Amino acid sequence: MARFLEYQGKAWLAKAGMPVPKGRSASTPEEAKEAAEWIGGPVAVKGQVQAGGRGKAGIVKLVNTPDEAAQVAAEILAKTVKGLPVRQVLVEEKLNIKKEFYCSFVVNGAREARSPMLMFSTEGGMDIESVPEEKIFKVNVDPIFGLQIYDAVDLAAKAGIPDKDISKFANFLTKLSQTYQKYDCQTLEINPFIMTDKGDLVCADCKMEIDNSAVGRHPEFDIKIARDLPGEPTELDYIGWSIEETDARGTGFLMNMGYDEVSPGYIGYHPIGGGSAMMGLDALNQVGLKPANYADTSGNPVASKIYRVAKSVLTQPNIDGYLLGGFMMANQEQWHHAHAIVKVLREVLPTQKPGLPCVLLLCGNREDESLEILRTGLADLMTPEGPGRRIEIYGKEHVTDTKFIGERLLYLSKEYRAEKEALGK
Amino acid sequence: MLEFAEKSCTIIIDTSKCDSCETKACADACQKYARGLLGIDDQGRASVAHRSNEEVLRLGTECLACEFACKFRGNDAIRIEVPVSGLDEYLKKRSLA
Repeated sequence: MARFLEYQGKAWLAKAGMPVPKGRSASTPEEAKEAAEWIGGPVAVKGQVQAGGRGKAGIVKLVNTPDEAAQVAAEILAKTVKGLPVRQVLVEEKLNIKKEFYCSFVVNGAREARSPMLMFSTEGGMDIESVPEEKIFKVNVDPIFGLQIYDAVDLAAKAGIPDKDISKFANFLTKLSQTYQKYDCQTLEINPFIMTDKGDLVCADCKMEIDNSAVGRHPEFDIKIARDLPGEPTELDYIGWSIEETDARGTGFLMNMGYDEVSPGYIGYHPIGGGSAMMGLDALNQVGLKPANYADTSGNPVASKIYRVAKSVLTQPNIDGYLLGGFMMANQEQWHHAHAIVKVLREVLPTQKPGLPCVLLLCGNREDESLEILRTGLADLMTPEGPGRRIEIYGKEHVTDTKFIGERLLYLSKEYRAEKEALGK
Repeated sequence: MLEFAEKSCTIIIDTSKCDSCETKACADACQKYARGLLGIDDQGRASVAHRSNEEVLRLGTECLACEFACKFRGNDAIRIEVPVSGLDEYLKKRSLA
């Protein structure tokens, strides 16, 4: 899902007519000070990262003056939370909170539902997992017509909202349902939304995730990559997205795995399918190697797509090897992989990475012909002194043999690294 | 020279090399691995002249098989350019281009 940071989500909530606190984002202490001056009065300064538990991580602070806002913004902007650097803070008015509530719209995938579902609780402001089940009230929402006012009234009444406030809550929740639908959200969680001392309901936080498949319908969001990424997209992530963005002919997935492009022991990782990817990671883990990236070329992709993924995987700097991990008897015709891999290795190994260990495991439909394509296409590289001298080709005899594949890769990568070090590279 | 585009790549064929090619392996490969887009014309050269532009786009599956077949069983006359968006810049930044 394409996720918004809190300040981005709140901006879209505001455009949809939902009540949010007065505030704006800042990337520097000076900007934070200016924002606090613009707001006037006490403010909250909230670090913006895609991670929960921000309060516990010390990146949400309440201050009384613009100078204090600048000071805490400097502290927060210097922090890293769960590996994610804080690049922005949201400075917003301090709310006078009478009570906190929880609500979220999620997709209920249960067979009897298969629709959005609203979860609502009067126990807001904490992890929903820690709220007793009996205090969470749920209702499935019609995917076409959205939450109906009578369902919202019913839900609020069941949750114990006083009669005088029920219509206020029902209106708030139905409007939020319309927002969820309008923006094609996968998840829209407001925890907490609060009642102020004046009795107004305000979205004090916002977690908004857009359905990846719907991103094309929302150019206004300017979402560059419609994927679940742990942090900001890297250059490799952008390359990976470009392979998939307009080409639905099978899967050609590629993403960064946090490789620093320098450390030893990283392998250009090219599994074929999700289960195969898990087994490939087993192969690497067993021998202490690590994946530089994640990839997947399953679902019968065209050879050009496989080529693009393989080339991007292989050209990552300083990798100690390449693993084509087909740990499964694939239904897709594997000769498209064979043609693509031959083309890539013939382009990359002689000029850029001579001697790079390449363990190629390709099993499944048309396996014999596919392996023959690999052997024929790479034979002149696989001579003792050739650029493909560390290419090894395996088929179904090793389809689940993660230990063997891992050990071959480790042996070859050690040899490769020693050779590079001897050459002073 | 014959050059034509598929959905996301370009096929360039030095058809002068077809004259001495005895296998015409490219057309066989196209038939086997794709949809038989590529044909052999009256002069024995690889050709898509018998296809409309719409057919070239529809029948081309970017299987890369003709390039392989021509290289290893023909006269090495086919080159397929498969651009990878952003990769050149990525490599240049790392002095790897």
